[in-house]
Amino acid sequence: MGIPWSERYRPKTLQELVGNYDSAEELMKWVKESMAGRAEKKAALLCGPPGTGKTLSVNLVAEALDLELIEMNASDFRTEEAVERVAGGATLQSSLLGKRGKLIFFDELDGISGREDRGGLGAIMRIINVSKYPVVLAVNDPWDPRFRQLREICHMIKFNRIRTPSIVVRLRRIAQLAGVNAEDEALRKIAEAANGDMRAAVNDLQMLAEGRSVLRAVDVGRLYPRTQEMGIFDVMKGIFSARTILEARAAAEGASVDLDMLLQWINENIPNQYTDPKERAEAYDWFSRADIFMNRVKRRQMWDLISYAVELATGGAALARRGPYRFTKYSFPKRIGILSQTKEMRGKLMEEYVELAKELHASVKKVKTEYIPYIEIMEEAGKGPIFRSAGSKESGG
Amino acid sequence: MSASGVRPEIREVMWTEKYRPKTLDEIVNQEEIVERLKRFVKERSMPHCLFAGPPGTGKTTAALALAMDLFGKEYHKNYLELNASDERGIDVIRTTVKDFARTVSMGDAPFKILVLDESDNMTTEAQQALRRTMEMYTSTCRFILACNYYTKIIEPIQSRCAFFRFTPLKPEDVKARVKYICDMEGVEITPEGLEALVYIGGGDLRKVINTLQAAAAIGSKVDDKVIYKIAGRVSPKELRLVLEKALGGDFSSARNEVMRLIMEYGLSGLDVVKQIHREVLWLDVDERLKLKIIDLLGETEYRLLEGGSDEVQLNALIAKIAMVGRGG
Repeated sequence: MGIPWSERYRPKTLQELVGNYDSAEELMKWVKESMAGRAEKKAALLCGPPGTGKTLSVNLVAEALDLELIEMNASDFRTEEAVERVAGGATLQSSLLGKRGKLIFFDELDGISGREDRGGLGAIMRIINVSKYPVVLAVNDPWDPRFRQLREICHMIKFNRIRTPSIVVRLRRIAQLAGVNAEDEALRKIAEAANGDMRAAVNDLQMLAEGRSVLRAVDVGRLYPRTQEMGIFDVMKGIFSARTILEARAAAEGASVDLDMLLQWINENIPNQYTDPKERAEAYDWFSRADIFMNRVKRRQMWDLISYAVELATGGAALARRGPYRFTKYSFPKRIGILSQTKEMRGKLMEEYVELAKELHASVKKVKTEYIPYIEIMEEAGKGPIFRSAGSKESGG
Repeated sequence: MSASGVRPEIREVMWTEKYRPKTLDEIVNQEEIVERLKRFVKERSMPHCLFAGPPGTGKTTAALALAMDLFGKEYHKNYLELNASDERGIDVIRTTVKDFARTVSMGDAPFKILVLDESDNMTTEAQQALRRTMEMYTSTCRFILACNYYTKIIEPIQSRCAFFRFTPLKPEDVKARVKYICDMEGVEITPEGLEALVYIGGGDLRKVINTLQAAAAIGSKVDDKVIYKIAGRVSPKELRLVLEKALGGDFSSARNEVMRLIMEYGLSGLDVVKQIHREVLWLDVDERLKLKIIDLLGETEYRLLEGGSDEVQLNALIAKIAMVGRGG
């Protein structure tokens, strides 16, 4: 592939933007306010899944306002020192390129690493506080506890997954520009598979259509067996049918998903494989030991402990079996999906609890167990304060 | 547009806050302790303190009232409350606590006061870090450590503190306070209702007042029936349901119910285990089976404390309860 189409055909002005147009507008408005010294918050935090236009919007806003863009992303080292060096100086000097001003942009903050980028977040916070230019940050998951302080000082702007019809519109335009005659059905399939990620859709289009003059739906269909998920079912079978720990571990090593995901699959499928209470309890008991090891690995960077976790989890899942292997229909770890879908809601709830805790001179734990149950009764009786719903009643909605 | 903009003032709404004593004189119980604290105010001098006692006996209130009496209206400039359950790591001791403790007090306050609430939940490491901090900044800051179990506080810290033991409130004190609040709020309470409230509360005034306020929200007259109804409600009966389903061998609905509680109430794995623990003894099953369940709960809590994840450890717990329920 030559120049990525996502780059070559990227919108040149805000007006061309498809999807999340309002978010980009909001950013524009905030940057203007910030430059005029009227912005309420010291920085803007763009949040949303990949490929929803965060980086693009920042670029377009900088271009529209003739600002020099100072950018750091996950490919840069972001230690305290590096951040100070690159962005720290820039926040105080005038633009050397003769632009009207600067825009400081920290992209892909999710990728900031605790170990490699030591002190980086702290340095970013300091820059936000001293910068005389607008500071913008982008992040996929703003509810990560690492970003708590950041959330408090930033104006949050949300970027949503882009709807399939909007992606189709954009793909059609790009196909036109690239001289590809594409069937509507082909574009729709690509757009659907992208699941709201415009960049992924454009990349897929390029992969499928570059060098062709015609793109038909069948060309797309052929390219989309979801190989990864096929693989994981075999891995599950390999683990649960193993007779030795060695076999179980070997099956796990064949997985194309990362270890965390693999463990989530095992967690989900233990009850599918084992309906006998004894087998199920035994498999879970080993799995819970593995879970503790995994946590030690993560908390203390004790990577060597991973092998114990893997053997306990996979070997335990296999050896809990008392009789012959039973064919089982394995399922996708759906609970993980539910938990991450409700993460934002739970994040908000938690924030409200933290606030309540302060005012009630109590810990969050106490708020949850000693206050909320009573408050709920009061609310049901229609007399109490409306704590919980208060969070959702934003902007007069 | 944060939630605080819409929400009514907590200190007006929640009776526990509205009727929290604002000065040491208002505190009706713990006479001996109050006497000693008043002397601190008079002399404008105090040592580090350790407040130990069961929940709802006035530890936080005493600390707050002491600060208000010492520092006056602007007390919050020299007063910081940290909750060790939420902020119990060594980082907090090294940063937040240190930053507060080392700077000089504002106005004419002789020193600052830092309250570490629920300090028995602090890790040993954090307590060790605290020990030095307490010594280094004695000239600028006094520490009040509040806890349920003073034995969980390391000895070097105990030895640096004046010790105050808070005892459960006496029934007549509870009654007096309840009557006072009822008068102020125009709530009618029956003698049986009052007795029930005292019984349910067990000397924990926070619980008593919250129960009273919930009861008053339901009906104009508070009697024993409504008090017991609320007491039954707030020990989440959903968790008893979880337990019953697991014991009946219905693993998946027990698991789904737990996940729902975690998501909707924001309960942590530890919250769930502790609440199930409260329910176990009241279950209608063989006593020996209860022992097995208690053993499993203890093991699960231990594993969670060792760093296990909520979801996995709770799944394992439910699976094991389902097993012992079948006589396994």
